[in-house]
Amino acid sequence: MSRDHAVNDWYPVADTVRPGARATRLLDTDLQVAWDGAAAAVTDAAGTAHPVQIRYGHVWTCLGAAPRALFEISEAEEPGRRLVPCGRVRVRCSPLRAVENFLDIAHFPFVHKGILGAEPQTEVFPYAVKIREEVDEVWATQVRFHQPQAAKSAGGATEIRYEYRVPHPMAAVLYKTCPPRPEAWDVIAIFVQPVSETECIAWPWMALYDDESSHAEMVQFQQEIFVQDRSILENQLPVRLPLDPRMEIPTRADLTSIAYRRWLKRRGATYGAMTEAQ
Amino acid sequence: MTPCPVALSRDLPPGGVKRVFARGRELALWRGASGQVAAWDNRCPHRGMRLSHGFVRGDRLACLYHGWQYGTDGTCAHIPAHPELCPPATIRATGCDAAEAGGVIWVAPEGYAAPPELPRGLVALRSLTFRCDAARLARICGLEAAPVLYLPDHPSLVILPNPLPGGQVEAHVLTAPLPAADRVAAVHLTEALRRAAEAEETA
Amino acid sequence: MTFTLYNDVLDAECYKVRLLAALLGLSPRIAAVEAHPGAGHRAADFLALNPAGTLPVAAAGDLVLSGAPAILVWMAAAHDVTDRWYPRDPGPMAQVQAWLETASALAATAGALRREALLEHPAPSGAAQSAEALLRRMELHLLLQGMGGRGWLVGTHPTVADIACFADVALAPDAGIALDPYPALHAWTLRLRALPDFLEMPGIAPLHALVDPLTGHR
Repeated sequence: MSRDHAVNDWYPVADTVRPGARATRLLDTDLQVAWDGAAAAVTDAAGTAHPVQIRYGHVWTCLGAAPRALFEISEAEEPGRRLVPCGRVRVRCSPLRAVENFLDIAHFPFVHKGILGAEPQTEVFPYAVKIREEVDEVWATQVRFHQPQAAKSAGGATEIRYEYRVPHPMAAVLYKTCPPRPEAWDVIAIFVQPVSETECIAWPWMALYDDESSHAEMVQFQQEIFVQDRSILENQLPVRLPLDPRMEIPTRADLTSIAYRRWLKRRGATYGAMTEAQ
Repeated sequence: MTPCPVALSRDLPPGGVKRVFARGRELALWRGASGQVAAWDNRCPHRGMRLSHGFVRGDRLACLYHGWQYGTDGTCAHIPAHPELCPPATIRATGCDAAEAGGVIWVAPEGYAAPPELPRGLVALRSLTFRCDAARLARICGLEAAPVLYLPDHPSLVILPNPLPGGQVEAHVLTAPLPAADRVAAVHLTEALRRAAEAEETA
Repeated sequence: MTFTLYNDVLDAECYKVRLLAALLGLSPRIAAVEAHPGAGHRAADFLALNPAGTLPVAAAGDLVLSGAPAILVWMAAAHDVTDRWYPRDPGPMAQVQAWLETASALAATAGALRREALLEHPAPSGAAQSAEALLRRMELHLLLQGMGGRGWLVGTHPTVADIACFADVALAPDAGIALDPYPALHAWTLRLRALPDFLEMPGIAPLHALVDPLTGHR
């Protein structure tokens, strides 16, 4: 489908962990990305420079003439949180499938067995989903699930509460019970770089309260989870996300995904999607 | 049309699931605990996950993504996210006819058709994939393309070719009952056939 | 005796060590090394331990071992009282050695393709053809082993050779290499995944078929 809507959003094209240059691709456009530790530059094959901003541990760029504002994650500024960019993982799937999977909890006992879920505790309890019109974001609240080891800091099994937020067609933010601080939320986000409609690079990022784990442990905990998902994402057919409700069969557990697909369709964010049964 | 030979029966034990192709159609082939074989389109109706990555429990195939379980008739029998729910009969995996004959699993993508007659008493040797098409496989055996290849130089061997996407072909090889040493020799013969066919391909 | 394993969760070489440790009932202390995105394996403290800058590393007191083949052999020789995982008879011992070399060749081809697919580290040219040749060789060997009533690469019990070769075979689909054309190889991976105390890694799912859905246990 057309990338007309997609070109005016910001996307991550590098992390800021180490200075360096990389050749990459965004929305079918070849790019050169340079990050020297203080400033970044993004240019395409014709030598055109594209705008850059450094946010949430990543270099973001936009290819379009009328960039929409990049969403805010206010927790990124909170003192005491550890900010954890988790590197990149390439996946041969639609960028939208990668986001939708991030919003799904029913797969935990099967794909993340022993970590985020385990049989026989497979039930997804009712939760609330709405499109918050004032901010034009999809929100799922009052989500809860039984987890054997919800976070590196969790120690043992707990019932975990979640809120999910989709502020951007190719990014999602998860607010999750923070085991050491019951009054606060841990923040885990997935920023997706659409390479093409059928290939993407996921850049997970976290803002956690955790005084125990090493940085490497937190990074690897998240990498383990995401690469488990990758095996699923590369095996969904069709590769592009179907927006026609007749193509796939959701249940009550999929309310977030239903709202996400509807929200994509209504804003015309169809890059990586298919809109009619084929 | 004749059905497609997609696997040797012995390579799909009870509880087994694998991906196969029948005239370009991608299928999940599986066998329940009681022995029955089924061939379904390789996507879960829920979120499109390949069912060939799933797992078998009893006489149900479960999708790896969310654990949805389907009975041998294709209807969804269990959705773990809603353990109390009786899934509507409209949720079902679609498939095609699968049958076993002569130690081979046959799939008919266009509706029921009888497998070709084979000599009695053949034994499964192996399945292997050739990086060449079915016509070249037949030619290297000294034959015209056909659903069953009786090797003129090796009368104890029978090859059932099944074309795959990408111009490849898998060969399901059967033999007359042979002593162990001759079975090993037959395996090496299939390797030699493949080397010859693929050498011709690159020449 | 316990040891410390310097580990990267996405690295197939490290997984070989974790897997054999689990099967032997060992619980090494895991020291996470952030290879991506941080290049922790290039940091001065890690290079002091292993100047080659490679993972995995096992440290047991003064003994520091690097590389999966050496660590696997050491674990089996030191901790397996049955002598089955690393046979001491000359013939099988040398066969195990040969398969350890095949495992290294798999890592350099199928493993390199996986790192390219996941992490964009370029694989050497020709890796796909070389990987296919190795998988075909393993398929032939396991087919003939099966015809002789032997289910493993060497003999009738799994050895460190099976563990060393398993990782890159089972992870091949992550690199876009389908295992459909290799029925004997596929059956062998299922046998390995069904071993008691088998440990999965991302890309290698547990055998859910063996779980009792009512209790969640095997």
